[in-house]
Amino acid sequence: MKKILSVFLVPVFALFFSLNAKAESLTLGWAAWDPANALQELSKEFTAETGIDMNFEFVPWTSFADRMLNELNNQGKTFDLLIGDSQWIGAGAVYGHYVKLNDFFDANGISMDDFNPATVYAYSTWPKGSPNYYALPAMGDALAWAYRKDWFNRPELQSEFKSKHGYDLGVPKTWDELYDMCTFFQGREIDGVVRYGAAINTERGSEGITMGVTAAMYAWGMEYEDPNNPYSMDGYFNSAAAAEAVEFYRKMYEDCSPPGHSDAYMVANLDAYKSGQVAFQMNWYAFWPGVYKEDSDGRESGFFANPCQNVCAATLGGQGISVVSYSDKQDLALEYMKWFARPDIQQKWWDLGGYSCHMDVLGSPDFVDSAVYAQGFLDSMGIVKDFWQEPTFVELMLPMQERIHDYVVNGKGSAQEALDKIIEDWEEVFEADGKI
Amino acid sequence: MKSAVKKFKGLSDKAIAWIFITPTLILLLAINIYPLVYAIRMSFTNFYANKIGREPKFVGLKNYKKILGKEEIWEKMQITAHFVCWTLVLQALIGLGLALLLNKKFKGNELLTTLIVLPMMLSPAVVGVFWTYLYNPQVGLFNYVVNFFYDFGVFDMLGSSTLAPWSIVIVDTWMWTPFTMLICLAGLRSIPNYMYEAAEVDRASKWQQFIHITLPSVLPFLLLALLFRGIENFKMFDLVVELTSGGPGSATELASINLKREAFEKWKTGYSSAFAVILFVTIFGFGNVYVKVMNKIKDR
Repeated sequence: MKKILSVFLVPVFALFFSLNAKAESLTLGWAAWDPANALQELSKEFTAETGIDMNFEFVPWTSFADRMLNELNNQGKTFDLLIGDSQWIGAGAVYGHYVKLNDFFDANGISMDDFNPATVYAYSTWPKGSPNYYALPAMGDALAWAYRKDWFNRPELQSEFKSKHGYDLGVPKTWDELYDMCTFFQGREIDGVVRYGAAINTERGSEGITMGVTAAMYAWGMEYEDPNNPYSMDGYFNSAAAAEAVEFYRKMYEDCSPPGHSDAYMVANLDAYKSGQVAFQMNWYAFWPGVYKEDSDGRESGFFANPCQNVCAATLGGQGISVVSYSDKQDLALEYMKWFARPDIQQKWWDLGGYSCHMDVLGSPDFVDSAVYAQGFLDSMGIVKDFWQEPTFVELMLPMQERIHDYVVNGKGSAQEALDKIIEDWEEVFEADGKI
Repeated sequence: MKSAVKKFKGLSDKAIAWIFITPTLILLLAINIYPLVYAIRMSFTNFYANKIGREPKFVGLKNYKKILGKEEIWEKMQITAHFVCWTLVLQALIGLGLALLLNKKFKGNELLTTLIVLPMMLSPAVVGVFWTYLYNPQVGLFNYVVNFFYDFGVFDMLGSSTLAPWSIVIVDTWMWTPFTMLICLAGLRSIPNYMYEAAEVDRASKWQQFIHITLPSVLPFLLLALLFRGIENFKMFDLVVELTSGGPGSATELASINLKREAFEKWKTGYSSAFAVILFVTIFGFGNVYVKVMNKIKDR
């Protein structure tokens, strides 16, 4: 009997202890997209070095904010590390969701001077620009454009375009040029198939149309508020130039987008481009490695930063990595962050398809030639602008989504009315938050 | 054991009834009544569930006044009313028609019934995604079928503020008409044959038989089905979110979608509790009136 028992019990105990021995693990939350897979791959090295297992929960973009912000508001312990959107930094800091990292950075020789200043400002600091850090810049990103280089290179299209518009068909330098090119391709038959101009952001549910329309508004010189009088938005956010940009975006939607592109964001834009429907797609840099790799059947993709108009500017994307203050494993999470901040790991991160914000990587002489979209990324990161990063950013985002969608897609009212109403909504939010 | 039986035997009928009812009552109190009372309490405060550490303040009827005075809320209510009314009308007419058809005996009757019932067994999320593709102006079947009968050209059901409210009505009708049909079918099958035999002896026409026998007999069933559908559609959320996310703009933003955005995206807990109470009272009020009318019809 003893023998029989030992035969069964020994493996059971062995399994039990081996599981306990490997009990050190961390859970990291992020959106489900290509860079997340790259990070999962990269993190195997962390596990190999430290023995700490990494678990990942990647949530689709459509429910990413809902899922993660619910988790933080409920003080959940699911995540030890969170790669949250740049706009969450205010809420993360003010409501105590994120651990303040200044002491940890000082103790471990991590300097924010080693990271791209625009990314530090956008992803790490609260109040904005102050030396209070709640995240380490993890994934630099901005809204940019991909185009069908193979179509652009066709001599017959080049000459037709030049005779029509008087300049070469190529990377558009302004939004006006972008519009000319989009309309040039709209409804055009290429290789026996009808093609369209551009797949632009029009999504209603989360942040899509706001991210898209602000790419135009920033290029027209829009500011959210009076730089000398915070939260005073009248005449800035609803300036004549800002309204003109919104009108222009509607014109792009009306004249250049494929039929049915009325609720489209990242995936829908990618689909429209990959299926050969459109000449241009608006999207985040994060997707360009995948788009470039998947070029086949004669498709050749080119990439460029957001075109200028009155000024040069681009919509900021990207995220910083934060330690969740409700985690019981903050020490392990900080260990991961220390590892992730290392220049050699940052280089591997870029090599795998992540967008490092480390100056050693971005400043390396090989960087620009390391990928076809690298120069565009560098250009964009120098001109990025972000949406409000206030703790109430969701309350600020929702009316903008509704009003802009109502005007751009639905054609209701005018651009000026939409912007005026957004300011009214925002003032109400700021008043409730005690900011006005 | 014997003493237990003895003890049990000693209990009055009322006590035994309480023993059976109590677990249900506790569950009902815990998961229905308590949250309702809590929500009512919250509706008088300025509570934000995401603002940790900020004590909610009592604001009296401020939230209610704000909601009832807000033009946008009335717009959402109108959108909801449009959706509820049209889905009920269409589901009543088509559901009753199908039930009358399937009440006849013919070959393949059972197979056809099963096929018709299939949509309501699907998940609303799946139906939403599936219809998004059907409505796609480039590759969707819907445009193709409509243009087959009359050439409207390319039209975007989900991207037009005129068509989008109808697009959600169509999908809900497609999905839930089988439910109305099933209930009506149960009603039709409960009508005894001798009533029709007697009517035929009296030389009543088919139309007269329908008006004087079929319709009065099936009406309580139909009204019950419409009550269920009305309550469900007043709270409709998932299907519409999948189809339009409330867009274009706010053309299909039903009251429940707006409530979710206020409660779990903006985290205006006090305000959204007040809105939830208003919606609850509306449904409860309408439901009560409706049940009274239904009972009167039944008693006739």
